[in-house]
Amino acid sequence: MNWIAVGLKQDLPLGVVIPSRIEDTELAIWRSASGEVRAWSDRCPHRGMRLSHGFVRGNALSCIYHGWQYSENGSCAYIPAHPKLTPPDTICVPTYDCAETDGVIWAALQKPLGAPPAVSSRRPVRSMPVARSARAIAAYFNAPQSTFLEIGSDFDVALALQPCTAAHCVVHALAARGADRKAVSRWLEALRSDLEESAP
Amino acid sequence: MILYDYVLSASCYKIRLMAAVLGKPLSLRAVNFHPAREHKSAEMLALNPKGTLPVLQDDDLVLTDSADMLRYLTADRREWRSPQDDQWLAFASGLNDSLGLARLHDILGYEADIDAARASGVTALRELEAHLTDQRFDGVGFLTGATPTIADIACFPNTALAPDGGVVLDAYPSLRLWMRAIRSLPGFIEMPGIHRLHELAHPA
Repeated sequence: MNWIAVGLKQDLPLGVVIPSRIEDTELAIWRSASGEVRAWSDRCPHRGMRLSHGFVRGNALSCIYHGWQYSENGSCAYIPAHPKLTPPDTICVPTYDCAETDGVIWAALQKPLGAPPAVSSRRPVRSMPVARSARAIAAYFNAPQSTFLEIGSDFDVALALQPCTAAHCVVHALAARGADRKAVSRWLEALRSDLEESAP
Repeated sequence: MILYDYVLSASCYKIRLMAAVLGKPLSLRAVNFHPAREHKSAEMLALNPKGTLPVLQDDDLVLTDSADMLRYLTADRREWRSPQDDQWLAFASGLNDSLGLARLHDILGYEADIDAARASGVTALRELEAHLTDQRFDGVGFLTGATPTIADIACFPNTALAPDGGVVLDAYPSLRLWMRAIRSLPGFIEMPGIHRLHELAHPA
């Protein structure tokens, strides 16, 4: 598996952390105060709390449970209960490759091969949950295994698929620059109905 | 003003939240809704024959419908009102019958067709997400415009509490940003299951 879209730039403001996932891997996607976006495992190494419940302070992500603070490379920088302690290097959150291109946030669970898909001149419209697997949607468009589908249509739509479960995925939709985004939104909702009704 | 209140009720929270962001004090009377069913006691039925919560009492006036309470609390605060509010108050009532019912099923053991309640809750969330996404395309962040109204306060609690009823909110970015905007309002208060912003609203 290569680069997978996990969100859109427009949906992740400065200083915000959100939950996401690629199949069984739960992710905390967060944007630091200086604007860098990162994709981490969504578990605090201390007690397993979801880091996506936590909060961003400056360029660090803090766990909501005991306030353990993780700096940009995932290593623990500060433990509030032991303010004089320099946390050992072994306390760190698993981090994944993450890139932000053309308004799309991409993550890769394994070392990615090359750059994220080229979206050409399209721009992001919206992300939308769909009650079908990414695999089923790719098959519906005769592009088995693909996670970036260039559909066409009047709006020159492309769909970046985020596989979640056997029954769900998130579709991140892009369309021609200048397309009426509300019209694209209605088109996507109709497509979602078709996809969900085509379920066996 | 007295609010007969149950802390876990989404509808009671609507009224507490509205009063809090308006800066209007409420005297809270805690009613043991579960497990004691005190809202069906003789004393409460004398006040509200329907036997529901919340109940808002202001001198001789007794209101038993949360939409009426939101209108009453904002009667002198027109900036909290919009011509589109009524449709969203009706929508909020639908949220209560779907997501709200699923939550009561899961947390208090209410009888419900849980699959149907969750499915109609998801349909409603999709509608809300689509509308809020359109609003963002128009450069505004609330249901009826650039500032919140009773429409937002009415729809917020059952939406934010959806996970309590087994409906996940992770994949609805416009809902998340809208809920964040509401949680950033001056005077915002919490309820169990809805916490205040821990992150900074305006990071440097």
